[in-house]
Amino acid sequence: MKYSYYTKYILTLTLLVFCRISNSQERLNKLQAPTSPASSILGLQPSSVLSPKSYQALEAALYSNFIGENGNAIIPNNFALEFTPYWTKNHSLSLDEYLYPKGFMDQIIRNSSFSIASTQNFQLGDSSATNGLAFGYRTTFYLGNKKDREEIENYKSSLASNQLITSLIGSEAESLLVNQKVANIAEFIEKIKSTIETTINRNLSDLETVQKKSLIDEIIIEVSKLSLDINNYDSFLNSFNNIIDNKLKSKLLFNNYKEYIMDRQGWSVDLAYASLLSFPTNNFNLSYVPRHSFWLTPTYRFKDKFKFLKIMGVIRYEWYNMDYFKKYFVDSKIYENNIDYGFAISTEFDKFSIKFELVGRRSETEIPVGTDSEGNELYKRENSSDFQYLGSFNYNLSDQIILSYSLGNRFQPILNPDNTLVSLLSLNFGFGTPTEKTLDLMK
Amino acid sequence: MRKTYRYKNLTFPISDDKEVILEVEFVSDGNTGQTVINVPGPNDKEINNSGSKLIGKGSDLRGDSTICFSDIANLIPEEDEIRIRFKINDELIVEHVNQKSEEERPIIVLSIKFPTL
Repeated sequence: MKYSYYTKYILTLTLLVFCRISNSQERLNKLQAPTSPASSILGLQPSSVLSPKSYQALEAALYSNFIGENGNAIIPNNFALEFTPYWTKNHSLSLDEYLYPKGFMDQIIRNSSFSIASTQNFQLGDSSATNGLAFGYRTTFYLGNKKDREEIENYKSSLASNQLITSLIGSEAESLLVNQKVANIAEFIEKIKSTIETTINRNLSDLETVQKKSLIDEIIIEVSKLSLDINNYDSFLNSFNNIIDNKLKSKLLFNNYKEYIMDRQGWSVDLAYASLLSFPTNNFNLSYVPRHSFWLTPTYRFKDKFKFLKIMGVIRYEWYNMDYFKKYFVDSKIYENNIDYGFAISTEFDKFSIKFELVGRRSETEIPVGTDSEGNELYKRENSSDFQYLGSFNYNLSDQIILSYSLGNRFQPILNPDNTLVSLLSLNFGFGTPTEKTLDLMK
Repeated sequence: MRKTYRYKNLTFPISDDKEVILEVEFVSDGNTGQTVINVPGPNDKEINNSGSKLIGKGSDLRGDSTICFSDIANLIPEEDEIRIRFKINDELIVEHVNQKSEEERPIIVLSIKFPTL
C-alpha cells in the first residue's frame, strides 16, 4: 500500500517536472484533448470517437475526478502515454515531400503513434480492483484534393517570392557594409535603391506599377530613418531586413500558411487498434487479453468561415474474450461482438474546444444451447443495442497542458449497468519532440 | 523582430583555377527557403530550397567577401528545430541550428573570403 502511494507521488512529480521543463521554452503547437486508443480501451476516456492526434510527438494524460469520496483531492492513479517515433529524428524531408507524401506507406510511417495506458483500478465482477494495461496504435491518412493543392501552391509561390526578394536585397545590403563600399546612410540608400527597385519590379508581378513604386518609396523612407554605425552595422542590417520583411507582410503570410498546414481542409481517415491486458490476480504471470478494439474514423475539416468546425464519423468494432468474462464477470451480460457507429462534431477556438458525439451500438453473441443428433454444437444468437451521447469541453491551460471535462450518458457499463452517467475530468501534458540527444538520459 | 544569424570571417583557401561549388543542405524536416550568393562581380547565384551551385573559380572570388544570404522558414508542426548545413566543395563550413521556439523564420548570413591556397 505504502509502495503504491510512493509510486503515485513519484509519477505525478515526474510528470509535473517534465511539464515545467517543457514550459521553459515557448511551445509552438497547441495540445489537444487526450484521445489515445490505449486509454479508450481501458475505459479511461468515455468517448467512442477518437479525434485525430495532435502534433505532439509525446503526450501524457492523467485521468481522475480529482476529488475523493471524502471531498479531498486525490492523486490520479490512471495515466496514458502516446508516442510518435518518426518525428524524434531528422529525415531531411522537404516541405513538398511533407505536404504530398508519395504513397500510403509514407503516411503510415510518419503518422504512426503508439500508446500505452495503465490503471490500478480495473474492477472485476466481484468489485476487486486489479491492474490493467492497454496498448494501442494509430495512424492517419490525409486525402488531398484539388482545392487544397491550389491553396498550398498559392502560399508556396507567395512565400518563395518574398524569400527571394528578401535574399536578393539583403545579400546586397550585407555586401555593401561587409566590403566597406559605403561610408554613411546616404551612400547606403543611394547604392541599395537600384537593387530594391529591380528586385521588386521583377518579382512582384501581381502588383500594379503604382503599387510597386509606393512600396519602394515606403521602404526607402523607413530605411532613411535608421542610424548607421559603419563600424558596428549588425543592428542596422537587422532593422533593414525587418523593414523589407514588414513591407512584404512576410510574417502574416507565413502565419497563415502555417495555420493552413495544421488544419488542411478536406478529408482525413484515422485507423486505430488497441488491446487490453488484464492481471486478474495482480500477478504478472497470470494475464488475459480480454478485449480488442478497432476504429475507423473519417474526419472532414471545413475551410474559410467554418474552419473552426470539424465533423467525424466513427465505426468501432470491439471483440470480448467470452472465456475471461465468464470467469471474472460471472453475473454480467457480455456480448462477444460489438459494432459502434455514429458521428461527432467538434469546434475549436483559440483557448478551448467543444465536442459532442452521438454513437449507437449493435452487440451480438452466440450462446451454446446443446448439440444436435450428430453431436454438433448448436448456438443461439443474442442481440442488443445501446446508445451513447456525450459532450466534452477542453480548455488549454497552456499550449502544453489541457484540462478536459466530459459529461453525458455512456453505453451500459459491464459493472453496474444502470450507472451510465459520465462526469470525468482529465489533464493532458505534451512534451514536444524528444530527440536522440534529449532521450540520452545517461548524459 | 526577426532574427538574423551571422557567421562572419569564414575563409576557404582555394587555388585560382579550382571551381567552387556552394551547397545548402536542409537537415531538419520541412524547411523552405531561398538563398542568394552575392559574389564579387555580377554573377550572383540563387538556390531554391536545398541544392548546390557553381559560384565561380577561385580567381573570380578574390578581394571582397562573398555573402551567402538565406531566408528560411519552417512550417511543419512536428519539427522543433531548424538545422541547415552549408558546404563548399563538399566540405562543411557552417552547420546552423536554432530551436523554432527561438525563431521559425531565421535569416542566415555567411561572409566568406576565398584567399589563394
